[in-house]
Amino acid sequence: MSLVFQSLVLGVLMGGLYALLAAGLTLYFGVMRVVMIAHSAFLVLAAYLAWTFTVHTGLDPMLSLLVTVPLFFVLGVAVQRLLVARLRPATLTMMSVLLTFAVALAVEGALGFVFTGTHRRIPLSYSGARLELFGASVALVKLIAFGLAAVTLVGLHVLLKVTRFGQALRATMQHREAARLLGVDTDRVAGFGFGLGLATAAVGGTALALDSTIYPSLHWHWIGPLMAIIVVGGLGSVAGAAIAALLLGVGQNLLQIPLGTTWAQTFFYAALFVTLILRPQGFFGGRLAQRF
Amino acid sequence: MSTPGEDGLRTEGLTKSYGGVRAVDDASVTFQHGRINALIGPNGSGKTTFFNCVTGMVKPDAGTVTYHGRDITGRGAHKIAHAGIGRSFQLCRVFPRLTAVENLLVAVRPGSVLRALAPARRKADVERAMELLTRVGIEHLADVEARDLSYGQQKLLELAGVLMADPETILLDEPAGGVNPALIERIGTLVRELNAEGRTFLIVEHNMDVVMSLSDHVVVFDRGRPIAEGPPDTVRADPLVLAAYLGG
Amino acid sequence: MRSASEKVVKSVGLIVLVAFVVVFPGIASDPFVLSVGVVIISYAVLATAWNFVGGFTGYISLGHAAYSGLGGYATGLLILRAEVNPWVALLLGGVVVAVLAVPVGIAALRVRGASFVIVSIALVLVLLLVFQSWESVTGGSDGLRVPRPFGPEVLRPEQHQRFFYLHAALLAVMLLCWWAIDRSRFGMGLKGIREDEDKARSLGVPTVRYKLAAFVVSAFFTALGGGLYALWFGFLDPIFQFSILVGSNMVLMSLLGGVRSLFGPLVGAVVVGYATEFFKAQYGDTQMHLVAMGVLLAAVVLFLPDGIIPAVRGLVARLRPKQASIREVTQEELAEEVRR
Repeated sequence: MSLVFQSLVLGVLMGGLYALLAAGLTLYFGVMRVVMIAHSAFLVLAAYLAWTFTVHTGLDPMLSLLVTVPLFFVLGVAVQRLLVARLRPATLTMMSVLLTFAVALAVEGALGFVFTGTHRRIPLSYSGARLELFGASVALVKLIAFGLAAVTLVGLHVLLKVTRFGQALRATMQHREAARLLGVDTDRVAGFGFGLGLATAAVGGTALALDSTIYPSLHWHWIGPLMAIIVVGGLGSVAGAAIAALLLGVGQNLLQIPLGTTWAQTFFYAALFVTLILRPQGFFGGRLAQRF
Repeated sequence: MSTPGEDGLRTEGLTKSYGGVRAVDDASVTFQHGRINALIGPNGSGKTTFFNCVTGMVKPDAGTVTYHGRDITGRGAHKIAHAGIGRSFQLCRVFPRLTAVENLLVAVRPGSVLRALAPARRKADVERAMELLTRVGIEHLADVEARDLSYGQQKLLELAGVLMADPETILLDEPAGGVNPALIERIGTLVRELNAEGRTFLIVEHNMDVVMSLSDHVVVFDRGRPIAEGPPDTVRADPLVLAAYLGG
Repeated sequence: MRSASEKVVKSVGLIVLVAFVVVFPGIASDPFVLSVGVVIISYAVLATAWNFVGGFTGYISLGHAAYSGLGGYATGLLILRAEVNPWVALLLGGVVVAVLAVPVGIAALRVRGASFVIVSIALVLVLLLVFQSWESVTGGSDGLRVPRPFGPEVLRPEQHQRFFYLHAALLAVMLLCWWAIDRSRFGMGLKGIREDEDKARSLGVPTVRYKLAAFVVSAFFTALGGGLYALWFGFLDPIFQFSILVGSNMVLMSLLGGVRSLFGPLVGAVVVGYATEFFKAQYGDTQMHLVAMGVLLAAVVLFLPDGIIPAVRGLVARLRPKQASIREVTQEELAEEVRR
């Protein structure tokens, strides 16, 4: 029983992190109908930057966010402006997959070239610390990662709901043409949407690096589960992705007890296939996906 | 095979919503065979969604579509095409990277698995395609890719493509939209000729001159359902229709 | 467009190509060069197999490694566990994968665009997990040794030579099939789907059946390609068999050559295959080849989405001064239309 409870708590914490990692994917898809394969490669890039920062300065990796978040925002705008916006609208969805896939390869290759394939881990003074949480023993780093995810997602939510930019962004996600008619500069918004998405990747990658070993090809390990999350949640729905992330995270952690870690991973894909067969538009929100 | 005057296409309580908005709302309409029917109504009154439900492009939430008394509700679009209903699209859709003649050859039904592997450019099929291209007046562009045609030429090509499948009933979504008066005239003549040969038409159109001069019967849509129908002159004088158009 | 001179050029080109494939193992004295030849022609087989679905229907699958990997494992396992004759195992493996492709195709082809690509990627990732974990059957991460179909008396260079011809024969069969479909009614329907799926449906093309048929044919040939490669290479490791990179290579090659052209994937495979081997020889085992591949793929997507073959054809057409361009014809027609 306590094992189940322990897994449940861990699952919620993991789910929160998944929600953050998948948030960017939802943004890209929302503003441009683009499946950004390179998202997880950028997560790994952020993780490496955090590692480099800590190794060279001895400071806490979270301080690297002061640099990486703005950097990734600019990078995201650049990816949208210089690459994705150049594609023909008629073939945008398919070709953008290939294009962002190409970016992922280039990022992975560059990471391998600069940092070699050696597995790295951020040295942390508190990496072994554990906390008691409702009777479950939880690593402090997992709590910090969850905290980062929660703060970022709440911030994102507030940004989307309260600010003018957020309104323009949501309008663009819901109906690009209509938003343009209302005077929204949708091209600009799409660029910022990409920037925002990639900025979440900076936070997500750093949170990831706190608690896991990193290597250049790590992004392949992540892209599948993240894709599953956004499809189950309903493509283009931020809240849907968050709910799906929590459910899948908990499910995966509970399944680890009888099945072991590797087989539990297949849970994501099973959920993905079941969703596409039963409800291709996703389970939570995701009115957009009907068209795809 | 079907006599003019009998009921051809018929919908009963047809309903389709998108995210809480009822695009088509409990629409029951009957279109008699052999006529040129027009479907008019203000923007967003559900005409195109009605078309899409009838031709199987989208599944209606409720209601039935029957054709010559046979229930065809929710059948696949290709099956409805096989039943003898052809359609054009709003804003004109052709296969951009196929030549004009290939655009027509796509509509050839193979008939069986083996014959699906027979060459697409069979002489009889190409001849029929050329005949149709001649009929709409673009036979000299047969080997030009559709994307290199002008908009008007693409509209004619789309019509020829629909005819290639030899449908008994043809649904046209804004045939006069975005084309010059000379071409409107030409399309109108074609529609009349084809109607005289026994084909039924159902036309969504915003150009009232075209509707009034071409159609035998007009159905007016507002908020997803028919609010009036009858001969063009009667409908034009109907206060309900005027109210709908003026946003009453 | 279909001028006599073009026919002559095409025939000559075909003869040269066939002649080159026939004599290549003879002139490549070095076994290493020969083995590179086998690798490249294996790429060509896989890319051409991919193009049955990618080229005809426009559905870009990034996960075709699923079928080549399954084909390889099916062949290997049938030989090892059921002691089937290697060639029968190869064919049987293809059939098994084709059957498996039916439910996968039904699920994947229901969704268009983005979701389809996601499914194709997910399939490879899940197979990687399964084949790594299911050790008792697949050998797990340690890999699976596939016995060679030829006896020990056949030496290395001779092996390469035979497999080169076997791949060439498979490629020839596939090209013939592609060509036959391309000019058939079935092919015309598929091209309609590629151009505008809803429009094709409205004209009576049974799109679901057509897409599924193309998908299964593609999976079958991809599996044969994977199986043949397994017999040649003699060793299967899940991480290389079920790799997104293998699938993306097929996409890159086909796209680079031109998905609408019969020989497009072949041309792309030769270019990319040669470049990959060159990179490996030049820069060793660094990760730079990934960067190069990424940059090349991005360049193709951005600047050459139609591929090399149509680009060259367009260039040739432009160099012929006498023929009026299509655009001018339509302008003329436009003017005429206004006059009417």
